[in-house]
Amino acid sequence: MSDPILAVQARSLSKHYGEGNTYVLALKEATFEIASGEVVALLGPSGSGKSTLLTILGLINPPDTGWLQVGGVDVIRDGAAVGDTNLIRRRNLGFVFQRSNLIPFLTAEENVRLVLELDDVPRREALRRTREILESLDVADRASHLPMQLSGGQQQRVAIARALVHQPSLLLADEPTASLDKELGRRVMELLKTAAIERGAAVLVVTHDHRALDLVDRIFEIEDGVLDAQSASVPEVTQ
Amino acid sequence: MNLSLRDVRHDFSRFLLTAVGLGLLLTVVLAMTGIYNGIIKDATALPDSLGADLWIVQRDTRGPFAELSRVSNDLEERARAVPGVARARSYVAHTIQRQLPNGRPLRFTAVGLSWPDDLGRSLPIVRGRPLAQPHYECLVDSSLGLSLGQRIPLGRDVYTVVGITDGLLASGGDPSAFFTLSDAQRIQNDVSNEAIRLDREARSARVRQSALGRDPELVRFSGKNARLIPALAPLPVSAVMLNLEPGVSLETVQARLQGWQDITVYSQEEEHGLILGGVVEKTRRQIGLFRGLLVVISAILMGLIIYTMTVDKIHSIALLKLLGAPMSVILGMILEEALLLGGIAYVLAVMIGNFAFDIFPRRVVVENEHRLALLFIVTAISIASSAIGMKKALAADPNEVLAA
Ligand SMILES: Nc1ncnc2c1ncn2[C@@H]1O[C@H](COP(=O)(O)OP(=O)(O)OP(=O)(O)O)[C@@H](O)[C@H]1O
Ligand SMILES: [Mg+2]
Repeated sequence: MSDPILAVQARSLSKHYGEGNTYVLALKEATFEIASGEVVALLGPSGSGKSTLLTILGLINPPDTGWLQVGGVDVIRDGAAVGDTNLIRRRNLGFVFQRSNLIPFLTAEENVRLVLELDDVPRREALRRTREILESLDVADRASHLPMQLSGGQQQRVAIARALVHQPSLLLADEPTASLDKELGRRVMELLKTAAIERGAAVLVVTHDHRALDLVDRIFEIEDGVLDAQSASVPEVTQ
Repeated sequence: MNLSLRDVRHDFSRFLLTAVGLGLLLTVVLAMTGIYNGIIKDATALPDSLGADLWIVQRDTRGPFAELSRVSNDLEERARAVPGVARARSYVAHTIQRQLPNGRPLRFTAVGLSWPDDLGRSLPIVRGRPLAQPHYECLVDSSLGLSLGQRIPLGRDVYTVVGITDGLLASGGDPSAFFTLSDAQRIQNDVSNEAIRLDREARSARVRQSALGRDPELVRFSGKNARLIPALAPLPVSAVMLNLEPGVSLETVQARLQGWQDITVYSQEEEHGLILGGVVEKTRRQIGLFRGLLVVISAILMGLIIYTMTVDKIHSIALLKLLGAPMSVILGMILEEALLLGGIAYVLAVMIGNFAFDIFPRRVVVENEHRLALLFIVTAISIASSAIGMKKALAADPNEVLAA
């Protein structure tokens, strides 16, 4: 029922927190679409609702109302999750956060491969795909290191590999470069963009770093829970 | 990939230390079980090895193990005449504490066996031989620490150790030593020469003052060795042990004997009950209580450990949920770690037990069934405590990954 090259379609997503005088309407009727292979930056001041939107798209928190499709499949209808949330996360979603993205007792390679094994990808293929993505993100030489043995930039690159190795429809990133210095942050953003486009994933990245904005295809601005309708228009997408 | 093994490997020294601690605790649980069993085994070893079907004791007493019992020494003869009785043996036992010439204290329960009917063949003799002479030979329990051929002076006689038995303690927990009935009685009645002289004089005086004193023969005898005047001083025995002819009903014989006014009859099983219900009851319950407490403590500790281990990796669990890991993967990880911890602790406990229990001062009896029971308990504790961890894991919120 939707254009198959659209990775995400959101309609009227709203979310409030608290009751009475603690009531906050964190997201108001957000409606937008993101195409596969498109990188969108989500900009907004602190407390504007960026994380709120990300957790709704990531099926971490349910919205009050709204409708959401990821990879052409309904995942939220009338504010309620439909289908197997775990399965959708395993197949269609990838996450990168500011830090602490990796399981501390697994090596870099295992952290990435785990995602494939959770989805029953045969071991040989899982190993191959893991090695491949670690190479493309330039951390293959750290494959057998534990997270605490990696630098911040290496950790984020492993996290990006983990978020993309299963070729999700949508990669959600919440300030993935905030803990890195400017140079490294930009490099990581470049790698993220390349890897995402190669795997056909749509990317929604929350960032405060305006210097990396030239790398993105579009910018969503959000303020007081209101997503800027102007910048949220569906762009021309070349096939 | 196996997450639990990788998690354990990640902080292996801590995991191992925890397992060792828990293992030592389980060792104590096993030891308590073993001591408990040992107490029961020790308490019943002597009556068991004597192998009687029925015990005749003084009327209304719970002898001869749980309480003092005296029956006349002709009871053996009377009982032997009862139809269905194949064998009747007198039994005497009393605890004595003497000193070896080298000053070592020697405390044991002297048990008398009916010569020549009972030479101690039914006893677990590990070295040497049964009794072969009517006097001056004895079998002693290995826990007494005497050697084969050693000569022990008791009273005015010297006895030779001809056999060593194993694991035969009397109801008081003292090692047993076996003599012929008359030797045992002689040891029991061994008193100093002066005491004997005074006793004989007193006895003669009593006889002269009584109607018996009219018989000059009796007066003459009364001043001599008491054993020479059976009519005056028949030494009582503690009990009479009966063995029945094959096919004879225990109840029938017991009922018939019960009609005798001077005695009470117990089956071997009833004797067990008297011993366990009386002599060792308090100790048994005490140890049983400790064992129960230790199991509860182990369970609480294990629950806390698994809970802490889960809390420690709650971030990883939240992350796993975010990655869409099925709940079974997460719960499986917690259960596996709990079982691994319990398993290592259990193996340690059994291994330590195999080495250490032999050097315990008390007898520790641990059979395979007890190890199996412990394994069952440990598994149950592991599963129960992983349930505590699982509850925590189920509540883990993927939002925690964002908050980190
Ligand atoms: N769990 C919650 N309970 C109550 N209010 C919340 C909760 N989470 C967020 N809020 C409120 O919702 C609004 C949006 O918060 P959100 O975390 O989405 O902002 P943000 O844009 O991610 O901010 P930042 O840039 O600081 O991360 C804020 O006013 C915040 O106080
Ligand atoms: Mg935020």
